Amino acid sequence: MDSWVFATDERQWGGMLAAARHLGGHVTVVVVGSRALADAVALAGPDEVRWVSAAEDVPPEAYAAAVADLAAPTRPRVLVSSAEPAARVVLGVVAARIGAAVVPGMLDLAASDGDVVVSRAAIGGEVVETLVAEGPVAVVFVGDAVDGGAPAPAAVVEQAAVAIDLRVVGTEPVGSATGVADAARVVAFGRGVRAKTDVALIQQLADVLDAELACSMPIADDLGWLAKERYVGRSGQHISPQLYLAVGIGGAPQHLEGVRDAKVVAAINSDPEARIFRTADYGIVGDLYEVVPALIEALGH
Amino acid sequence: MKVVIVYKWARDDANAAVRADGAVDWRGAKMTAGEDDPAALAVAKQVAESSGGTVVGLTIGDGDASWALARGVEEAFSVTDAPPLADNAATARIIAAAVQRIGDVDVVVMGDSKQDPGVGPAVAGYLGWTALAGLVSASFADGRIAAVRRSGTEQQTMSAAPPVVLGVAAEADVDKTPGMKELLAARKRALTTWSMADLGLAVVDVQSRGTRKPEVVAAKLFEGEPAASAAQLVAALRADGVL
Repeated sequence: MDSWVFATDERQWGGMLAAARHLGGHVTVVVVGSRALADAVALAGPDEVRWVSAAEDVPPEAYAAAVADLAAPTRPRVLVSSAEPAARVVLGVVAARIGAAVVPGMLDLAASDGDVVVSRAAIGGEVVETLVAEGPVAVVFVGDAVDGGAPAPAAVVEQAAVAIDLRVVGTEPVGSATGVADAARVVAFGRGVRAKTDVALIQQLADVLDAELACSMPIADDLGWLAKERYVGRSGQHISPQLYLAVGIGGAPQHLEGVRDAKVVAAINSDPEARIFRTADYGIVGDLYEVVPALIEALGH
Repeated sequence: MKVVIVYKWARDDANAAVRADGAVDWRGAKMTAGEDDPAALAVAKQVAESSGGTVVGLTIGDGDASWALARGVEEAFSVTDAPPLADNAATARIIAAAVQRIGDVDVVVMGDSKQDPGVGPAVAGYLGWTALAGLVSASFADGRIAAVRRSGTEQQTMSAAPPVVLGVAAEADVDKTPGMKELLAARKRALTTWSMADLGLAVVDVQSRGTRKPEVVAAKLFEGEPAASAAQLVAALRADGVL
């Protein structure tokens, strides 16, 4: 079953390609963005990369109808995008054009007797639902990051595409730059930290790890203990550090969305049932006020 | 400018019970205002106000349509028998058909729902309009919509010519519970109800083969004395090459 994957940014295409590969058909990636992005996607080894060169002041959404013009004649069975706003708009517009169903929360795809079987996260990730689409289906991928890389990169073919009347008229940095966005290591804390004065303890842990300090949304939004640029989550920072250490963070889905691309997640929480332990690679169950000093000590050796 | 705020168009996951075997029981939950609906309503009002236009409400399904009417919207429409659907495109088709029936609409504003992120873009696809998602605010000036999107690191302002569909993601809870005066006023405001058949729509959806609990790759947990646990974690992180 042939699929088209839409990439408008550097997020998630490794996982999207891996899922599309499970269908066994031809995988075409449409990259709307820079040549560098198209080349990077080509290295991950789809069958074909079609590149729509987006002008600097034109957002990818402006090419959605043009991408539909490219995709529709090939009658793709499956369309895939990440949850990023621009990619989703391209997906929705192409889906409407070809009359595809649209299923969010895709974790994996399979082909079965001519049907597309979509495994998707539902009820905030509490369950995995199996859906069957008899016709064309568009899916929003939310699965795990998969490293790309293939023996033979695909050729990148530039496509002529006309943008609709939509443009970027202003871009400004949000707040002060903090370094959280591209730090290799991030230590974040949540409501498990009881008082503002205790933030110094977490900062100390971040310092010995040579990590940036971050937090969950309530710490920045409700309590104001850290600058808003330092909170990680759905409406905050989306980060991809090598190490994410969550201290006293329960692990609400909104928070975890911000660290989906982290390589290793470790967590300290007093509750062995804490949701964060379902996502973390490693966890220490214990009182953070005992564990953090012990960890600082252990890291000193 | 005629602005449509689409509200109460899905059920809230919080009203579903997940049983031990992974089956989901919705316990008769109705369509409800999503967490992004109040922020979307605020944007709809802002766009209408800055253009000297009006906001009308559109809801689908079995929720109470007075939600928007009690929050300053003068007129609303409801597709009362629209069911909750797994297929975001099917939901979008219902909303798009209702927007067309309302007529002369320039802007559709709706919550950019985390649960159903495909609905807004597909509404735009069916209407053939421009779509923007993940927005935090929008206003109207000089015949165009200026819409603001924020990521963790930057804020981008985009300019689009109507007609457009705007998907608004809440950054904080901005809902104000209406007082008795607003609730009473809401009862007098105009509510037009349609059925799916009135709009020439039939229910289609993808088939569900059921739900199950996710296979959790459990974290490797260290539960001993703090000093021992800390040393084990440090060793594990060193072995993974991230220290």
